[in-house]
Amino acid sequence: MFKKILIANRGEIAVRVIRACREMGISPVAVYSEADRTGLHVALADEAVAIGPAPAAESYLDTDRIVRAVRDTGAEAVHPGYGFLAENADFARRLEKEGIVFIGPRSDALELVGDKVRARQTMEKAGIPVIPGMKSIPSEAAEYAKAARSLGYPVIVKASAGGGGKGMRIVAAEKDLGPALEAGRREAKSAFGDESVYLEKYLEEPRHVEFQVLADNEGRTVHLFERECSIQRRHQKIVEETPSPALDDALRLKMGETAIKAMRAAGYNNAGTVEFLLDKNRNFYFLEVNARLQVEHPVTELVTGVDLVRRQILAAADEPLTLSQEGLRQRGHAIECRIYAEDPAANFLPSPGRILFLREPKGPGVRLDSGIYGGWDVPIYYDPILAKLVVWAEDRELACRRMEAALDEYAVLGIHTTIGFLKDVIRHPEFRAGRTNTAFIPKYFDGWAREENTEEALALALAAAAIDETGLRARPKGSPRTKEETAGPWQTLGRWKMGGAD
Amino acid sequence: MEFEFLVDGIAKKVAVAEKNGRFMIKQGDREFEADARRVSDNELVLVVGGRSYDVLIARDKDRKILFMGGREYVFCEPGEEAGRSWTDDHKGPGGGLKIKAPMPGKVIKVLVGEGETVRKNQTLVIVEAMKMENEIKSSIEGSVKKIHVSAGELVDPERLLLELEAKT
Repeated sequence: MFKKILIANRGEIAVRVIRACREMGISPVAVYSEADRTGLHVALADEAVAIGPAPAAESYLDTDRIVRAVRDTGAEAVHPGYGFLAENADFARRLEKEGIVFIGPRSDALELVGDKVRARQTMEKAGIPVIPGMKSIPSEAAEYAKAARSLGYPVIVKASAGGGGKGMRIVAAEKDLGPALEAGRREAKSAFGDESVYLEKYLEEPRHVEFQVLADNEGRTVHLFERECSIQRRHQKIVEETPSPALDDALRLKMGETAIKAMRAAGYNNAGTVEFLLDKNRNFYFLEVNARLQVEHPVTELVTGVDLVRRQILAAADEPLTLSQEGLRQRGHAIECRIYAEDPAANFLPSPGRILFLREPKGPGVRLDSGIYGGWDVPIYYDPILAKLVVWAEDRELACRRMEAALDEYAVLGIHTTIGFLKDVIRHPEFRAGRTNTAFIPKYFDGWAREENTEEALALALAAAAIDETGLRARPKGSPRTKEETAGPWQTLGRWKMGGAD
Repeated sequence: MEFEFLVDGIAKKVAVAEKNGRFMIKQGDREFEADARRVSDNELVLVVGGRSYDVLIARDKDRKILFMGGREYVFCEPGEEAGRSWTDDHKGPGGGLKIKAPMPGKVIKVLVGEGETVRKNQTLVIVEAMKMENEIKSSIEGSVKKIHVSAGELVDPERLLLELEAKT
């Protein structure tokens, strides 16, 4: 087993991997940019290496600097987390050449599943249902119109090198096809340096259902059931759960077997996820492979009892997979809510800044994967994810109630977060009924606003604010005083204008 | 003692009188008694009419943010503009319009020049934060009076980006 692992990431996922390392007796090494000097992952690791300026391109995405940090610390393996270099085949290949273990799939498998068109071809050849669409990038413009007509509108323009919604355009009619192709190409070119786009049939209001797969280096492969991730804003997931309310045992079995077949066809090793779209008629189609640890992996861990990060590290160290498909079970229900530094009342505008005070939820069945602390300044440079609140309970309804209670306990004061919005999502009758699809947020939450505070609650809050100003003390007489308490009432008061005092 | 707080820009008064650890509260038409205990600098527990309230308190330079029953209450110092939303347009004297950054971030591009006429909804500046670009648009028809930032600059939400002058 490895003695030292470098974690080429930041925030909550770096903290998650550090925890797995600790439990396995492995020494974790953090890397950090100038903007993350005070990051939680830096504080929790055994060693921390500065890798450059705040912009990710000059630090977390700079392979030279990461490799140098590996060399300098003597780490034997790199865990890439998600995002940044996690699905970069060139990075994986570079590590392979330098004799450093990449905790993830081999570079050739990574390259294959990273190319959307090649991945589709591979899956189709293996007999896996794919969304009807073009099989290659055409050389002539007229081919697109022809393909769109035979697929039937609406169609969707997708970037071959795509991801994260970049280059995607939904086209409802032929007259919009030309401009959509152009816009898609332009966006794909600037995001991936590759302007290849292709067309797929656009499924309306599908569910997003994905299967977690684990494979060792010898090709032993199991799946750890599904996650439903239909609740999305801007093509990005914000609530995930397992089991999916849409699957029964027969469909689950069929999709799970298909996921394993897909990963075998790609020659895939380590942890990965096969994403499917499930339409209204319960037909499922291969969407893509996520060749990394997923943000939403904790829900799978809670219902299967399997530690996915530990399994990733074991597989990367050439250990044989000791899980059998027959031995894996789903127990209870798990839901994850992503806590982002965003203002959901202002079109999810980013909300970096200082966390003035933090209180995190606790209790039975509550797990918090967090990368923040009170007093920390959330930097402007990176993804706005702060933490993931995950709950487990015996069934879906109980998990929903537990999530509501946990969100109510969760206070992140000083910046805007998605907490209040997520409460309303979990409380929504359509969500409660399990009727979720990828159009859920635009359909039910367009123009969402915070519910007004009641007059009665406001009066209580005002009373509390006033009592706070009176200098009410915490400790009994004789105990040591804090600096703030030593100040007289006239020094601590006076910041707020007192009516009639002047 | 009487205190005044701004709630969404509206001044609210609250009077408190302490007697043996109990507080008599007067707020608007409401009068009640609260038994208050301080847990820490950031936490008070109030018991009012037999109901218990756990109140978390965070302080900023001109704001007090309270958290109670899963909800936030933002109180501002009277006489300050801090209570207003970051996205509000700040009207200056003489029909001018001060455009402030909607969030902390980095100025990616300034798309207009001083003296240039602008249409309503025309993009003026692009500010990026957390991998997301945000276009700051003009809410009026007019002209650019002054530009205060340039590309590459880091800005705070209070930071003035540019001033517009309404078309007369």
